[in-house]
Amino acid sequence: MATQAGRLTQAHRQRGLFAQQEAVIAAAILVMTFVVSLANPDFFSATNLLDIAVNTAYIAVAAAGMTMVIVSGNIDISVGSMLGVCATIAGELARNGTPIPIAFLAAVAAGGLIGAINGALVAYARIPAIVVTLGMLSILRGGLILVTQGRWIESLPEEFFFSQRSTLGVPNPIWVMIAVTILVGLFMKYHRFGRAIYAVGGNAEAARLAGIDPRRVYMFVFVMNGLLVGLAAVLYASRFTAIQSNAGQGFELAVISGAVVGGVSILGGTGTVIGALLGSLLISLIGTASIFLKVSPFWLQAVQGGLILLTVLVDVVRRRRRA
Amino acid sequence: MTETTIAAPERSRRANLLRTQEGVLFVVLVAIIIGLSLLSDRFLTVNNLLNQTRLFTETALLALPMTLIIISGGIDLSVGSMLAWSAVMLGFSWQLVGLPLPLAVLICLLTGLLGGVINGLLIAYVRVPPLIATLATLAIYRGFSFGISQARSARGFPEEFAFWGQGQVGPFPTQFVILVVLIVIAHLVLSRTGFGRWVYAIGNNEVAARYSGIPVERVKFTLYAASGLMAGLAAFIFTSRVTTTRADAATGLELDVIAAVVLGGTSIFGGSGSIIGTVLGLLIITLLRNGLLLTGVKGDATFMVIGLVLILAVLINNLVRRR
Amino acid sequence: MIAPIIELREISKQFPGVRALDRVSFAVREGEVHALLGENGAGKSTLIKILTGAYQPDSGEILLRGRPIRIPDTRHGLALGIAAIYQELSLYPDLTVAENIFMGHQPGARWRVDWRRMEEQARAILQELDAGDLDVTQPVRGLSVGNQQRIEIAKALSQNARILIMDEPTAALTKHDVDRLFEIVRRLRERGVAIIYISHRLEEVFLLADRVTVLRDGQVVGETMEVSKTNQAELIRMMVGRTLDTLYPKEDVQAGDVVLDVRNLCYGRTTRNVSFTLRRGEIVGLAGLVGAGRSELAQVLFGITPAESGEIRIEGRAVRINNPRDAMALGIAYVPEDRKNQGLLVQMNVRENATLAVLRQLLRRGFVDYDAERRLTQEYVDLLRIRTPSLSQRVGNLSGGNQQKVVVAKWLASKPRVLILDEPTRGIDVGAKAEIHRLMSALAQQGLGILMISSELPEILGMSDRVLVMRQGEIVAELDRAHATQEAVIAAAMGADDLRSEPLPA
Repeated sequence: MATQAGRLTQAHRQRGLFAQQEAVIAAAILVMTFVVSLANPDFFSATNLLDIAVNTAYIAVAAAGMTMVIVSGNIDISVGSMLGVCATIAGELARNGTPIPIAFLAAVAAGGLIGAINGALVAYARIPAIVVTLGMLSILRGGLILVTQGRWIESLPEEFFFSQRSTLGVPNPIWVMIAVTILVGLFMKYHRFGRAIYAVGGNAEAARLAGIDPRRVYMFVFVMNGLLVGLAAVLYASRFTAIQSNAGQGFELAVISGAVVGGVSILGGTGTVIGALLGSLLISLIGTASIFLKVSPFWLQAVQGGLILLTVLVDVVRRRRRA
Repeated sequence: MTETTIAAPERSRRANLLRTQEGVLFVVLVAIIIGLSLLSDRFLTVNNLLNQTRLFTETALLALPMTLIIISGGIDLSVGSMLAWSAVMLGFSWQLVGLPLPLAVLICLLTGLLGGVINGLLIAYVRVPPLIATLATLAIYRGFSFGISQARSARGFPEEFAFWGQGQVGPFPTQFVILVVLIVIAHLVLSRTGFGRWVYAIGNNEVAARYSGIPVERVKFTLYAASGLMAGLAAFIFTSRVTTTRADAATGLELDVIAAVVLGGTSIFGGSGSIIGTVLGLLIITLLRNGLLLTGVKGDATFMVIGLVLILAVLINNLVRRR
Repeated sequence: MIAPIIELREISKQFPGVRALDRVSFAVREGEVHALLGENGAGKSTLIKILTGAYQPDSGEILLRGRPIRIPDTRHGLALGIAAIYQELSLYPDLTVAENIFMGHQPGARWRVDWRRMEEQARAILQELDAGDLDVTQPVRGLSVGNQQRIEIAKALSQNARILIMDEPTAALTKHDVDRLFEIVRRLRERGVAIIYISHRLEEVFLLADRVTVLRDGQVVGETMEVSKTNQAELIRMMVGRTLDTLYPKEDVQAGDVVLDVRNLCYGRTTRNVSFTLRRGEIVGLAGLVGAGRSELAQVLFGITPAESGEIRIEGRAVRINNPRDAMALGIAYVPEDRKNQGLLVQMNVRENATLAVLRQLLRRGFVDYDAERRLTQEYVDLLRIRTPSLSQRVGNLSGGNQQKVVVAKWLASKPRVLILDEPTRGIDVGAKAEIHRLMSALAQQGLGILMISSELPEILGMSDRVLVMRQGEIVAELDRAHATQEAVIAAAMGADDLRSEPLPA
């Protein structure tokens, strides 16, 4: 039995896509689904489970970008404001009669542009990522309110609501989430540049000696993150009938939490997109489960925060033991 | 390496003023005051300026320990949540439990202290990186605020309670007096005491500090605990000012606080900074915001300027230092 | 004569105030292990850096297979097949063994890393290195130093390195790992790789190397020799060379009572069953090779890594030292080896640095008494003749020697009974060095017990009343002033069997 388990983890390692943390989180998701379903059978319905997945989708898409940023040894706390700005751009353009695909593309491009500014400031002006993105957070949030004057964007054309529609019986956001996770996952696993992100986050000096330019990597991860936040904004904006001017407030926390719970180490150099997806799912699941278990939703954030702390403590202890 | 590094001759004091971050900030501050008073004649009035102090006291209180924490090489993202949690405990223990108000205030202060103590234990003794430890407690403490209050606000505090947030001592707002006293204390602690010296030493070179017999863990712990206690005090004044305790109070306040500290010339990497710089940073942010409001810019849009100023300040600082 | 694969001709390199390399010429052939010997500061590391492209020589030329080349940077050096393995390994702790080997040049199509092929190739390379037992899919974190080093070697080989420089590769290895490393080096030699092997351990030279070149003060001593035609005694003489100068003003002091008494002290693998005593007025030199456990012993005594077992007595009283504060309270002071990282706050000023360890005594109700602080600092600035324009000068702006004096001042200010000096004169100029030596002598006369760690033999011999020699965490010899000769100390430090013996079979 023991040897079998040993071989199993060996196999996981060789697959690489599943490191230990991912397996643990996946198991936690299954166990939780099972237990909550026992307590309240309504939980285990297709509608509800799909709903959880849809709720997670835009977080998970951004978490894929955040994974790249954190693995490279940086952080981006401007993603919440970025989401608001990109969602507003998509909404405003759509309302003014711009073809919907172009409105969506514009949102994604805007994300990429903001990411490029962040990246340039981190990589070439050498300002710490936390300061850059803190400043960017304020700039975008302020700029958004300046432009929208706090008004909500309503009366959007029917076509706009991409996230409310389904393809082959599965809601569109879920398709996007799966596609992004697979593509980014494959990129980070199989592309040389994807591997360079890990190298720079693990030991920037060694990476430099191996011919990798850390500045290019930083630039790249911030641009990618921006593009993915733009995409997340499209999913988010096209889900409800109105886009609020304070959209995305606190979003950065949800995204970073998802990644960290999924095993992306805040110290850089390790973590996977699948982990970030599973982490985001677990957090959403806890949210929905508490409703089904009739736990006061107001305790939810404390539970989610506790989960973050727990995973971080495990990470710290694990690193210390193996150091 | 031998005799090549020639000691730089001491420059005249006048030349030095513009070389220090504080000097630059002071000049910027004067420029802002002149500029804004030209734009709006309501700006440069004693009443307007004194009134401003009411609005920025909470941010300023938190910025004092934050300055020391960032100088020591750490960060505390949980201050906004600690403030909300403390405020909620005040309302809860007074209105729901029915404790006498002074006792409720004590509980408010102790709650902040508890939050800070937990942060301190995690960071100083368990050695969780400060960024991630306080990111987790940010969520947890906010969760406590919602969970304990069940998102209900407490209101109806007695007349005399308003003294702390709305009353006057002579011509000055009460909290302004408290703030000035604490600024002086913080300045003295940082610049004149042995403890302050230790804070700089730790931020400068933690290993050398430890090798010199400085109780590194104890100093760090004290800083985070102090940050919590100050959040408790800010919660008390905040509650007295707005006469209600809400679980979502001070959301995102940590960003304002950190922005003020970094704008004030404290290096995000630790090792340098001052309370005077932080106070100047706070004044610039507050006056900019107020001045823009008076010239007709809408409320939260002023964030934009602050973000911009933050990034530019660090950028310029980087360029000057590199030369 | 076999044509060399790489040859240095008349290479010179000047640093401000130091001539690091002075017309150094030497050549390495394919399939040979070429040992490079020399004391600290002899110019070995500068030479390596020039070979890998990290430094550019001021004059002279480098020939690769007979053709002159330039190596503008390390990437270029790698492309030419020149790789170095440093003591400090540069790995990605969370990535797998295979990826660490191939990062930056992974096999596969343009857009896709072929993991299976990468792992197969990694396995094949490790197999060649006789390390086929290493799981290439395992993360590097937690592997032994020996295994990590094998990965570094594999990394170099994966880039087809034809010239491999190994800088003290055995310094941190266990006996078993050393044996395996030797096996690997021999295999590489068979494959025609040219190996430049730098070591302090003479026995290794005789076990492994074909030829040997000795550097001293930036120059090649004599010329490159066949190892089989020399012996340990001759090599030691070549390395040491100079006669003892009279720089060392150690005056005889009648040693007083035992102030520090250490018995069976243990910490991990680096401090093993260490016992010794230190008396008032005595300077005890602690000699040994890099990695022998000298600084580690100092850190145990100072409470940075508290002892796991054993006994420490201060003036006869058994004490427990759990952290630097305990040590300081007992009157122990430690001037650490790494000035920049362990000793100084380079952005802070002379005054703040000098009083850091005694700040508590300068407080009045928690506030720093600036007058007292200035007085105290001035006192030590005068005593140690620290050359600084003012007490508020940033320490980072001072010269190396004055920086070191600031660290010494910090610890003298604590009025210690036992002063541990770890490489007290490393990297400082001759004048400052002499001043520090004079000071040590004066302090000893005042009754201080001084434990001095040094890698410079003349310093050890010139300053010490007694010399302790450490090797692999143990004290292997204790020599009094009369019996402490260069040869005796080196022999003990290197574990040489017998200095008068004939050359060992290679």
